[in-house]
Amino acid sequence: MFETRRLRSRIGLQLLLTVLVIPFLFPLIAMVQGSLVGAGWGNYATVLSLPLLPGFFLNSAVIAVSVIAITLVLTLTAAFGFSKLRIVGKEIYFWLLLAALTLPGVVLLAPLFATVTQVGAYNTLWAVILPLAALQVPFTVLLARNFVDGIPNELIEAARVDGAGMIKTFWHVMLPLTRPIIAAILVLVFINSWNEFLLPLLFLQTPDQQTVTLVPQYFVGQYNNDQTKVLAAAVLTGLPVVILYISLQRFFERGLAAGALK
Amino acid sequence: MSLALTGCGSQAAPSNGGSATKGAINWWSWTPDNDLAAREIAAFNKQYPNIKVTYKKVPIDNYAAVLRPALSSSSGPDVFSVNASGAFSGKTFAAYAYDLTPAMKKLLGADWKSKIDPGSTKAFTINGRLVAQTFGRVGAGMMWINQDIFNKYNLKPPTNMAEWKSLCATFRSKGLGCFREGLSGTAGFVVDTLHSIANNVEPGYWTGALAGKRKWDDPTMVKSLQILGDMAHNGILDKGATGILQYPDVNNAFLSGKVPMVQMGTWYSQYATVSSLTAALAGAGVPAGTKHISIMPTTFPDVAGTGNAVSLFADPDVAQAVNAKSKNRNAAVTFAIWLGSTKPGAEVVANNMDELPVLQGSGPDFTKITLVNKAQQPALVNVIAQLAKANEPRNLGLADQTNQAIINAAQGVVNGTKSAKDGAAGVAAAAASAGQ
Amino acid sequence: MTTSSPRRASRLKMPNGLPWILPAMIYSVGILYYCILYTGYISTLRWDGTSPLQEQVGAANFVHMLQDPVFWGALAHTAIFFVVTFTVQVALGILFACLLHSKLYLKTLYKVLIFIPVVLATATVAPVFRLIYAPDGALNGVLTAVGLGSLAQPWFSSGTFSLIIVISVQIWQSTGVVFVLYFAAVGQIDPSIIEAARIDGAGDVRIIRSIILPGVQGTTIAIATLSAIGSLKTFDIPFLITGGGPSYATEFLGTLIYRVSISFAQVGYGAALSVVLLVLAIATAVIIRTGGRRVGSSDV
Repeated sequence: MFETRRLRSRIGLQLLLTVLVIPFLFPLIAMVQGSLVGAGWGNYATVLSLPLLPGFFLNSAVIAVSVIAITLVLTLTAAFGFSKLRIVGKEIYFWLLLAALTLPGVVLLAPLFATVTQVGAYNTLWAVILPLAALQVPFTVLLARNFVDGIPNELIEAARVDGAGMIKTFWHVMLPLTRPIIAAILVLVFINSWNEFLLPLLFLQTPDQQTVTLVPQYFVGQYNNDQTKVLAAAVLTGLPVVILYISLQRFFERGLAAGALK
Repeated sequence: MSLALTGCGSQAAPSNGGSATKGAINWWSWTPDNDLAAREIAAFNKQYPNIKVTYKKVPIDNYAAVLRPALSSSSGPDVFSVNASGAFSGKTFAAYAYDLTPAMKKLLGADWKSKIDPGSTKAFTINGRLVAQTFGRVGAGMMWINQDIFNKYNLKPPTNMAEWKSLCATFRSKGLGCFREGLSGTAGFVVDTLHSIANNVEPGYWTGALAGKRKWDDPTMVKSLQILGDMAHNGILDKGATGILQYPDVNNAFLSGKVPMVQMGTWYSQYATVSSLTAALAGAGVPAGTKHISIMPTTFPDVAGTGNAVSLFADPDVAQAVNAKSKNRNAAVTFAIWLGSTKPGAEVVANNMDELPVLQGSGPDFTKITLVNKAQQPALVNVIAQLAKANEPRNLGLADQTNQAIINAAQGVVNGTKSAKDGAAGVAAAAASAGQ
Repeated sequence: MTTSSPRRASRLKMPNGLPWILPAMIYSVGILYYCILYTGYISTLRWDGTSPLQEQVGAANFVHMLQDPVFWGALAHTAIFFVVTFTVQVALGILFACLLHSKLYLKTLYKVLIFIPVVLATATVAPVFRLIYAPDGALNGVLTAVGLGSLAQPWFSSGTFSLIIVISVQIWQSTGVVFVLYFAAVGQIDPSIIEAARIDGAGDVRIIRSIILPGVQGTTIAIATLSAIGSLKTFDIPFLITGGGPSYATEFLGTLIYRVSISFAQVGYGAALSVVLLVLAIATAVIIRTGGRRVGSSDV
């Protein structure tokens, strides 16, 4: 893009890029540094020695996987329907879904307080999984529909001419073509569900039901606040998301861009 | 929907409440810290080995939000702590609480009320039901100093504004802070500072304002805010007060020896003990082996020049309520009243030094406590004696909204963005709105 | 399809897609709209959330809102927040996209560094920012080290700086997304046009202004609408970093709703604020839809 044929301008641009990226890196360094103050790696040892910690990671994983599964199934079927099939009043349905995109989690609190306890979901992982998935679906459908719009209609038609039913067409024609958007949704939904704080805090109560985002709170009390362990816990809980993102980085970027651009 | 939320409070428990000496119960609270709670539960289990208590500490900012769905569900905690005023007061959650009066009668006899701090019983008696039994009481209206720094420069705690000013000038010339306070956040320790100043300006005013008998924009309040503003600008209060939190910022700075003075209440006594100070320093991120400071209580200076002594004001800090829907209700009751109202319970609470129990005649057993400095013991005994005498409320009756408005007014005068008069008017307006 | 003959079209008429979208509609729209209706009902009550006393007060909560200076403050903060975050993110996003489409070293590393803040939970990073901006924190340390010690100050004391901090954290956290979108959009611009402009003597700034900016206009509109909605939904960052203070200087609708409904136990008033937040957000969603269409047409 930029002119880089002369070594001088190339070095200049590389420098500019580096200077611009430093503010993004700085808090990450501060975080790791802060987690090593005082007892050093001992802070990590303290966090890792919480007896329930493996359970927290497991619960977060179960929540993330369930939310991803629900979201993917609902999103891909809906995107196929919206993009490739005939629906009377299609845009009205789509608009209804989009309007829900605007709903902030904090608005859900009062109604969820009442409903979750009434249906007996309180203190089960469902109390987090179901509302969380509902909050993801509007945005993922928007992304996936845009992506599926980019798949030529002729491919679907050809499958139908060959006598394939809709389910077969969906399975054999559409799904293989949507891999990038599946990767994008996977990463996006994983980030959102792994990082969710308010719903687990309010609706998961016994210690063996809690999630990794609640770990730092073990080190914050009314009359003390152990920042070093809080930061060590933060680094440990952040690692899985960072690793997942880095390993799916290429797909993720392609899918997100393709879904949002069209 | 609303029925699910509201209708269940007065329901009878599903069973007869189970055994009073056996079972597993869950206890939720925002205080004490996990290690202190573990000591309290261990002491309880010496007497009741068959009641298993699981403690869950909830962050104070989220406690009210967390309790609500829990109590309206059928799987909430068996014992939940409440405080005397604010968003998670005994009054707020009274509908979910089991009446503890019969159990208290059984434990301490028909005249049980005479054996308990009367203010605490009054605070948690809602419509004739004892909805929670206090296990910890705290007071404020005092200062804490780092005795080592004072000794090093051969200085004495200030008794009035002029002395305080010159003392701070001395400390600052040595590169130290002086009086530091964190006004950021919603915790409101500055409310205690203002309360102390107001008690110095006019004793009894604050109590009157809490009871609704005096206005929050009264000249005494204006004057108190004015004095706080003066302290921010005459070099007493460390700069940047509105940008820092009392916990962790000020607490860490004080305990690691960077700041010589803070305004904190009786709960600070715990940092005179080696165990709590060591734990706090580990959390402050200072290098292992940092010297343990000797903290010392001192009276709040006569900043208004009225000569009125500032004495402690105190509230029940934390009380145990029993969930009326608990399946192990009787075991829960056993634990709830044991902690504050039996000799061994009161002693373990007192020995933690963060709260004082309400059972008359109880107190810490100094033979079981290791203090940083032997000289601290008489001073702590004196604090405990003053707290026992304190009969003026700390925040009892203060709506959360009014509390927030007082914090805002304090931030305003300290920052110089608000006059004392406007600040007081804001508090009065918030109190009027909260009272609607 | 549009060009196929009528006979073929009717033979191949696409089957009804309603069953395909129904699960998502029932599930998502069902749960969320149920919550919206419930909130609407609560907004007409005076209720503390637990007591059996629920008093019908009609529109009183909404009237109270209009007279509440904190509410208007929250709206103003939202507007400032949106304008600043949007402008800075677009500038940074386009610049990063152009730089990373140039022949430079270690491009993947830079991309990952820009994006990592996106994947970390606000709850996780909030304490870090409290440390950086603390009176004896890293920022003041850096300022003193480079000889600007006189600028060092307790940043959270000032309402203005607190708002700037909240905004900067948002920029830190979501520039990654904006960048990824622009990176893809810039990639779709024909390199030969840029090459031709360069032969005509256009410099980098000129190319960005005359070729890149118009070329990614659709993406910019989509980002504008998404970040407008995001601004209205702002909650985590002020809640966890400034607590809405000092003196409500960083209060947003989300933090106000939480404060009012949970701390002050005015659940009815909180619900009224929620209703207003929703109306504002849906108005923006309509713009997303129109913005989205224009994205489609301008990118072809």
